[in-house]
Amino acid sequence: MPSKDQSHSSITSADQELVLSSLEPEQLAGLKKHFIPRRHLRGLEKFVLWSLRIYLLFMMVVVTYQVWASLH
Amino acid sequence: MGIGPRTRGTPQTVIQENVVITHEDVDRAHDRVRVSAARAQRGFFSRFRLLWLLVGPGILVMLGENDGPSMLSYAATGARFGIGFFIPFVVLTFCMALVVQEMTMRLGSATHRGHAELIFVRFGPFWGWFSMIDLGIGNFLTLITEFIAIRAGLGFFGVPPWAAVVSALVFLCLAVITHRYWTWERTLLAIAVFNLVFVPVAVLTHPNWHSVGRALITWRPLPGGLSQDTLIIVLADIGATVTPWMLFFQQSATVDKGLTRKDIHLGRIDTVVGAALAAIAAVATILATAPLFAHHMTAENFQAAEFAQALQPLIGRFGAALFALGIVEAGMVASVTISISSAYAFGEVAGRPHSLNLPMAEGRAFYSVLFLCAAAAGAIVLIPGLPLVYVVLLVNVVAVLAMPPALVFLFMLANDREVMGDLVSPRWANILATGVVIFLTLAGLLFGISVIAPNIFAFLGGK
Repeated sequence: MPSKDQSHSSITSADQELVLSSLEPEQLAGLKKHFIPRRHLRGLEKFVLWSLRIYLLFMMVVVTYQVWASLH
Repeated sequence: MGIGPRTRGTPQTVIQENVVITHEDVDRAHDRVRVSAARAQRGFFSRFRLLWLLVGPGILVMLGENDGPSMLSYAATGARFGIGFFIPFVVLTFCMALVVQEMTMRLGSATHRGHAELIFVRFGPFWGWFSMIDLGIGNFLTLITEFIAIRAGLGFFGVPPWAAVVSALVFLCLAVITHRYWTWERTLLAIAVFNLVFVPVAVLTHPNWHSVGRALITWRPLPGGLSQDTLIIVLADIGATVTPWMLFFQQSATVDKGLTRKDIHLGRIDTVVGAALAAIAAVATILATAPLFAHHMTAENFQAAEFAQALQPLIGRFGAALFALGIVEAGMVASVTISISSAYAFGEVAGRPHSLNLPMAEGRAFYSVLFLCAAAAGAIVLIPGLPLVYVVLLVNVVAVLAMPPALVFLFMLANDREVMGDLVSPRWANILATGVVIFLTLAGLLFGISVIAPNIFAFLGGK
């Protein structure tokens, strides 16, 4: 396991070789910005997501009321 | 897939036209070399070593979720309802957590992307920000309760609140000071196992094992029947086991650890072991406080560490001190994991470096979010007159309510063939996950009905 001092020094060619031989390409921090296409949400999926969003907002109102009722 | 150059993070070395290697990569590569070496060897000890190298995120997320508010919820459960319905119910909630967390581990191993990042890129910023707001609010409220637990637990030993908060922040700094994922993970694992301290405390109360066995089979008794109070405890106990931060944490930690498709089987074992250990600790906590119910002591009056004080006449000073230490440990470990969950999500959404392998110079934003969230939560706990136990139970209830929307995103990602390839969820996992979403939504709705129409259960029960 490398010490922090070693980690702070510049990256050597041995390090590069180690990284390329032991990590999958998509594991590289520099490649994490690769393009993953946006998914088109279907009607049913949108309905479920909006329903749950409304459910959450409604329940937050209920919890707020519960807190208010408990304090009074 | 198109590949773009990395724009932040120093020092870094360009090795191809568009690809850079960072210290984060080098540290992760060292960990993966050891995994590959263990995998290449045959024999029982090599298999065990491989498992040892790969466990971590699953155990940490499960024991991390056995946090301060969770343990106080279990303590309140035991004190109010004794041995009965809630023993098997808590085991069931951990089974639900297992189903959900396995998906996050699989997603992280297959995509090497954190949960927040995947939601943003696949569903767009509109839904991504909804998800982030849920996570941010939930994490911050939960962090507050972790500090409540730490303050309460250390209060048993006479430590003043300000000193308790400062010591928790120091612990948080020490936990990540090595800037090395592996060291952080092993250190936190060693501390997290202390969660099992509730087992000897439970044994000290001499529980009636016959009643425990009967409760596990019959799910009875449920003193007082179904009421609003019972529902709050039901929701608090669910919220003590399945919460949104767990999804984000385990997936990001899986990515940070560097798990790959080859590691999924052992990642599952990691999650199962974590769930089993956490369930044992949770049931032990209920058993530990069950004597308070048997002695007709009213739990409503207890403020966190008072559970330990109330137990002292029954299990002695040593047992009570262990209970208080367990609460402190639960709060300390969770304050670290939840802060890191927030920092991971921030980094993923903001496009900033986010790894526990980052040196301070490269991860200033990541570590700043981590510390600032914790410091703000710690400061709030020092406000005089805060109704501690009420806040704790409420936070768990809010966590349950926020879970179904988070689970739907997880469900959709885990079934997204474009992202997961052949690792999409099998049918049985989808059936279980759908059951969990429906169960959590119904539990929340039932709670809502009980608030709007408090007498509905008495009416339905003919009382």
